[in-house]
Amino acid sequence: METEEIPALPRGVRLHYDRIREIWVLLAPERAVTLDAVGHAILSEVDGKRSFGEITQKLAEKFNAPVDQITKDCTGFLGALRARRFLDVSP
Amino acid sequence: MAWNKPVIREIECEINMYGP
Repeated sequence: METEEIPALPRGVRLHYDRIREIWVLLAPERAVTLDAVGHAILSEVDGKRSFGEITQKLAEKFNAPVDQITKDCTGFLGALRARRFLDVSP
Repeated sequence: MAWNKPVIREIECEINMYGP
């Protein structure tokens, strides 16, 4: 994923807290995936306005972690969601 | 909370999809 690209949740896809399992899930029509705390933290920053670079910078500050590591992990994570149509990316 | 590589699991009818 490129620094200037802007990730967004497609229409019909939303974050939801499952009180029974006590986990965050990403819901899409007739599909769902579970998220861990880091996955939820990443998607909480996805607002359809900020670029991938801005999001990884914010996460690096929030977690006090190297931005290179966060960029690498976020690229894999968001790429996996994009491949399954849980995420849109605009240039 | 510390940074860890995020994990995704698909709920079908949980199947690991991505992660460590």
